[in-house]
Amino acid sequence: MTDGSNLLPGAVTRVPVGLDAPPPTEYRKRRRQIDLVRKFRTEFLFAVGCVIIFLSIFLAVCGAWISPYDPTFSTGDVSVGPPSLKEWPSLLWEALTSDMEKPPHWFGTDSSGLDIFSRTISAPRTDMTIALSSGLLSLIIGTFLGLLAGFYKNWATEILMRVSDLLQAFPVFITAMILVALTGRNTFIIVIALGIVYTPIFVRLTRAEVLSQRTRGYVEAARAVGNSEWVVAIRHVLPNSLVPSLVQTSTTIGFAILLTSGLSFVGAGVRPPTPEWGLMIALGAPEMILGEWWQSVFPGLAISITVFGYAAVGHGLEEDYR
Amino acid sequence: MLQRFVIRRIIIAVFQLIGISLAVFFLIRMLPADPVARIVGMNATPDIIAQAKASLGLDKTVLQQLGNYIGIFSDTKDPGILEGSLGVSWVTGESITEEVGRFLPVTLELITYSLIIALLIAIPTGVVSATRPGGIGDKIVFVWGLFAGSQPEFWWALIFVFFFFYWSFALFGISIAPAPLGRLSPLTDAPDVITGFIVFDALIQGEFEAFVDAAWHLMLPVGTLVFVVSGPIIKMVRQNMVRVLRSDYVLYARSCGLSSRTIGLYALRAAMAPAMTLIGIFYGFLLGGAVPVELIYSLGGLGEYSLRSILYFDYPAIQGTVLTIAMVSLIIYLVIDILHAFIDPRVTY
Amino acid sequence: MSLQEPSGTQLPNTTGGNGSGTIIEARNISVTFRLDSGSEIVAVRDFSISIGAGEFVGLMGEPGCGKSIAAMAMMGLVRPPGQITQGSIKFLGQDLLGLGEEEQRAIRGRDIGMIVQNPRFSLHPMLRVGAQISNVYRAHNKVSRRAAWNHAIDMLRMVGINDPEQRVKAYPHELSSGMAQRVLIAIALSSGPRLLIADEPTSGLDVTIQAQFLDQMWETVRKTMSAVLLVTQDLGILANYCDRVLIMQKGSLVEEAPVYQFFETPQHEYSKSILALQRETLDGHTDIARIDKNQLPFIRIDNLTKHFPIRGSRSKVHAAENVTIEIKRGECVGLVGESGSGKTTVGRCLLRLEEPTTGEIAFDGVNLASLPLETFRKYRSKMQIVFQDPLDSLNPRWTVDQVLAEPISLHSDMSSDQRAKRILDLLGLVGLEEDVLTALPRELSAGRQQRVSIARALASNPQFIVLDEPTSALTPETTAEIIRLLIDLSNELKIAYLFISHDLTTVKFICHRVIVMYLGQIVESGTKDQVFNTPRHPYAKALLSSHLFPDVSNRRVDREVRQTLAGEIPSPITENLPKGCYLYGRCPSQKERCRDMSQDLKSIEDGRLVRCWRVTEGDLTDNA
Repeated sequence: MTDGSNLLPGAVTRVPVGLDAPPPTEYRKRRRQIDLVRKFRTEFLFAVGCVIIFLSIFLAVCGAWISPYDPTFSTGDVSVGPPSLKEWPSLLWEALTSDMEKPPHWFGTDSSGLDIFSRTISAPRTDMTIALSSGLLSLIIGTFLGLLAGFYKNWATEILMRVSDLLQAFPVFITAMILVALTGRNTFIIVIALGIVYTPIFVRLTRAEVLSQRTRGYVEAARAVGNSEWVVAIRHVLPNSLVPSLVQTSTTIGFAILLTSGLSFVGAGVRPPTPEWGLMIALGAPEMILGEWWQSVFPGLAISITVFGYAAVGHGLEEDYR
Repeated sequence: MLQRFVIRRIIIAVFQLIGISLAVFFLIRMLPADPVARIVGMNATPDIIAQAKASLGLDKTVLQQLGNYIGIFSDTKDPGILEGSLGVSWVTGESITEEVGRFLPVTLELITYSLIIALLIAIPTGVVSATRPGGIGDKIVFVWGLFAGSQPEFWWALIFVFFFFYWSFALFGISIAPAPLGRLSPLTDAPDVITGFIVFDALIQGEFEAFVDAAWHLMLPVGTLVFVVSGPIIKMVRQNMVRVLRSDYVLYARSCGLSSRTIGLYALRAAMAPAMTLIGIFYGFLLGGAVPVELIYSLGGLGEYSLRSILYFDYPAIQGTVLTIAMVSLIIYLVIDILHAFIDPRVTY
Repeated sequence: MSLQEPSGTQLPNTTGGNGSGTIIEARNISVTFRLDSGSEIVAVRDFSISIGAGEFVGLMGEPGCGKSIAAMAMMGLVRPPGQITQGSIKFLGQDLLGLGEEEQRAIRGRDIGMIVQNPRFSLHPMLRVGAQISNVYRAHNKVSRRAAWNHAIDMLRMVGINDPEQRVKAYPHELSSGMAQRVLIAIALSSGPRLLIADEPTSGLDVTIQAQFLDQMWETVRKTMSAVLLVTQDLGILANYCDRVLIMQKGSLVEEAPVYQFFETPQHEYSKSILALQRETLDGHTDIARIDKNQLPFIRIDNLTKHFPIRGSRSKVHAAENVTIEIKRGECVGLVGESGSGKTTVGRCLLRLEEPTTGEIAFDGVNLASLPLETFRKYRSKMQIVFQDPLDSLNPRWTVDQVLAEPISLHSDMSSDQRAKRILDLLGLVGLEEDVLTALPRELSAGRQQRVSIARALASNPQFIVLDEPTSALTPETTAEIIRLLIDLSNELKIAYLFISHDLTTVKFICHRVIVMYLGQIVESGTKDQVFNTPRHPYAKALLSSHLFPDVSNRRVDREVRQTLAGEIPSPITENLPKGCYLYGRCPSQKERCRDMSQDLKSIEDGRLVRCWRVTEGDLTDNA
């Protein structure tokens, strides 16, 4: 068949569509499914999470620029506590209206004189870079491997799944410690290590979804229409198998932040003096016994809020796609 | 049937353990870390370097090292795995088997109590909140679950120490919690080691003072872990229960006129079965989370030991701890799978 | 056709309000669902019904019309978050909705029994069947565990399960769907209820099993003078078993009538459209064009055999055995059978969605089965398929436009303008409007989705289409439309069909020839009139007798002799298949010789083929 001319010319409209409701004139306009905007407006938790995520990325990009002090140089004021709550409004006013030569230490300083506030808002550059990169890395590799494992059932994919299971069964923290501590503890290595650690999750999710989609009718129909196997896999199955993995990404990024800061805390992660939340908590820990709480509390608060934001967004997406 | 299943799993587990130990063995030797430099420092002469290398056994080829490790070439000081020895620590010089044997129960005790208490708290909470989905109580519970599950446990451990040890002393003159310096106060006599679970040992030997002291020292560490792990458990239990309560099973059971109690039991069983496999994952998560917690509270468990081994590039110790942890994990997964098969007959052996 | 009440049907005198005879009387029941977002949906509005002792009442409507909700509300039960917001129910004289929760609970399961649609989602998967039956029994009767367990065994025996002592220990997933369904009946009947509510209890069951099941329910009801409210979408069930019929549309009752009256003279618009196809069938009038009998077939399936290996075992699933079929241009050949018959497998092997184990598939002389897959792909444009589940066979992320464009670009090199025009032509052929192009499959009704599938099949200008149960997932009125569409298309475009179906009503309407399959073998084939009017093979006879045609003049419950087969359909695994005739063990006309002698397909007079020595040797004389 090369053109349509062997069809009856002027084919008449057939049997009326009967009792179906009259069709809407514009399907696209009425489509409301992946309406993130609506979700943002109606679900408080989701909205809060989105704001937190936005803030984390914003600080990752501009944190170091907007910080009042250089996060790696001593300010000279050692172990100064943060200003009391009563002073905050007036200090805030002053800071915003005039150009203060010596901005207040909102979060205090540590025993080396480094300003905690500056370090706290500069740390996202490290933490978020690692978390986002490793999350994306594991997503991409994991879904690709998952597609292969779901589509081809041979000895190679079997081994892949066994290895993936083993990796997943072993405590994540210890695996990460080994990979990071023994390879040099620079940012790049940490990203790779976390990427490896989180890949099995996406492999498993994608593979399960691919296995489920493979038995669906439209896959057979795609074959019957005349596509080759590879085209069926890429054009039909893959796009329909990505959703669970995409939904899981936000939560995984949250876990990556926890893992990065945890590793740095125990000394198996980022090296000082890079500002990093976990590291800051570790440095401040001995001081806490002495009552200087601000060195560890603020970075920890930052972790707590940030990861909660990613978890909230992840949960919100999960609810929709369940 | 059950026997065959267990035997098959054990055989597979043995292979997996072999796989893991080989993988770790080669992996750590492929990574760029240099244990020799760590021992001798930056300014060592080639002689000293060579000497250090020989003492660590690193002058031999990798395969020879593997052989020693397994125990093919006999060496009385370090007979190899086949004779039951995990080697000797490059840091302390002591038998790793012994060290691991000392530290493992500490970690296991911490994790087991945490998991049990977390389950006891989280499961009923999740179930009850599921019975009124969308209500205020339910919303609070579920947000709490989400929150707790996203917290850095090391930070909270510090905060707990700060509040319950330091601040409570500053405010009230007494500390609610002990100083984070170990499992017992220095003045208390430790009970004899039977299981290694100090609270349990003290209890069954009737040593009341040791029992109370040990429990007091474990209060915060366990509390920290319970706080963090109960979050995802609540979330999962609640989700499962809500789904089951709205399912056709429950509707049909009601149409048969079964009592609420019977329906509740039906629902619980249907909701719990898929959750079993996740419990194994929580155990794994706790094993990892134990590392910073043990560190902060100076408990002296396997977590701390593994951290030290890794930071000091103590290869035999690393291998030993990985092997041990893998074995513990595999045993736990096997037990969970058996339980799961009991509860849910659809699972085939 | 005159209305006569045949003997055997005693319609009890049950106009509503008749004291002693009325079992349940509901007035103005409304059920409302309040969603999380705050909006409300009225699922059932002003539903009123009255059922008397011994009555078998049918409730019908399209999916989503609220019939299941209304039926369940009859026992005061609504799936959360719904609520009964209005109305009253009098059950055996008592005000059901006014009773306390505990008393309502006591009535449910004891005096009112419910059979739901899908046993897999209702029976608890982790408890033994016997335990579930006895739990329900003990919830209403104070008996010991032992006594309840024995009662469970008795109930299983009563519902026709062989070997109940063993089966009672089984878990639901270990039973076939037919048996699981019977367990549901056992539970519902365990305490001797006065009213049985059955919600599509036979969907998913094979025709012959369905007949056994419904026969049993019918007899139980008549014997115990209880009552049945049967929710169904099957006109056949309504016509053959029900005394009265209620029709629902969008939550409201639109018609209520005694069964004869309903089928003779439906009042409401909606009822008329439901019955559209049936009336045409009964008139014997069909539009399908006659074909030239003398032309040679252009498709010939020769000795097609398909085996599926079973993991971990040496036996195989014999899906199809030595199937030989010829199809002429423009002809519609019907392939009928129950589960395990192999009819779906044949259709799929034809298009090489499964690879045949042995056999030839000749298309215009070319043996397609032996071609390498690459070369075969070019032939796909000539042979297409339409699947059973309309939503499942369309890519959920693709618009209709993309779905139709794919086959066109695969099999031709039209420019995008030409392609767009062709797509519009296709839409016109299947009766869809242009707006549908931007729609996603889930935004369309089932009928429209199936039209899109048909348009996709037509896109490459095929000469032959396999239709795999194309209307099984559709409501009766949509089925009528689709069948008419298919007939028109075949007439105009001279496309041949292989029409695979278990719905004999539609097969009778559209097909020229009919082939009956059982356990992978063809057991009878002939023209439509031959097979439907005078089936010869015992299986074909039982199948046609069990099939519930929506014909009130010939109700199954009125027949003196009902052709049935004993037992369940075995699964076609090597060890189950007998050496001789596959029907041995179930056949009412079997003899010793049948057991060991393997049967061949032989032709009898008037061009038919039958696989039964008793028929071909004239040993079996009978009437349909």
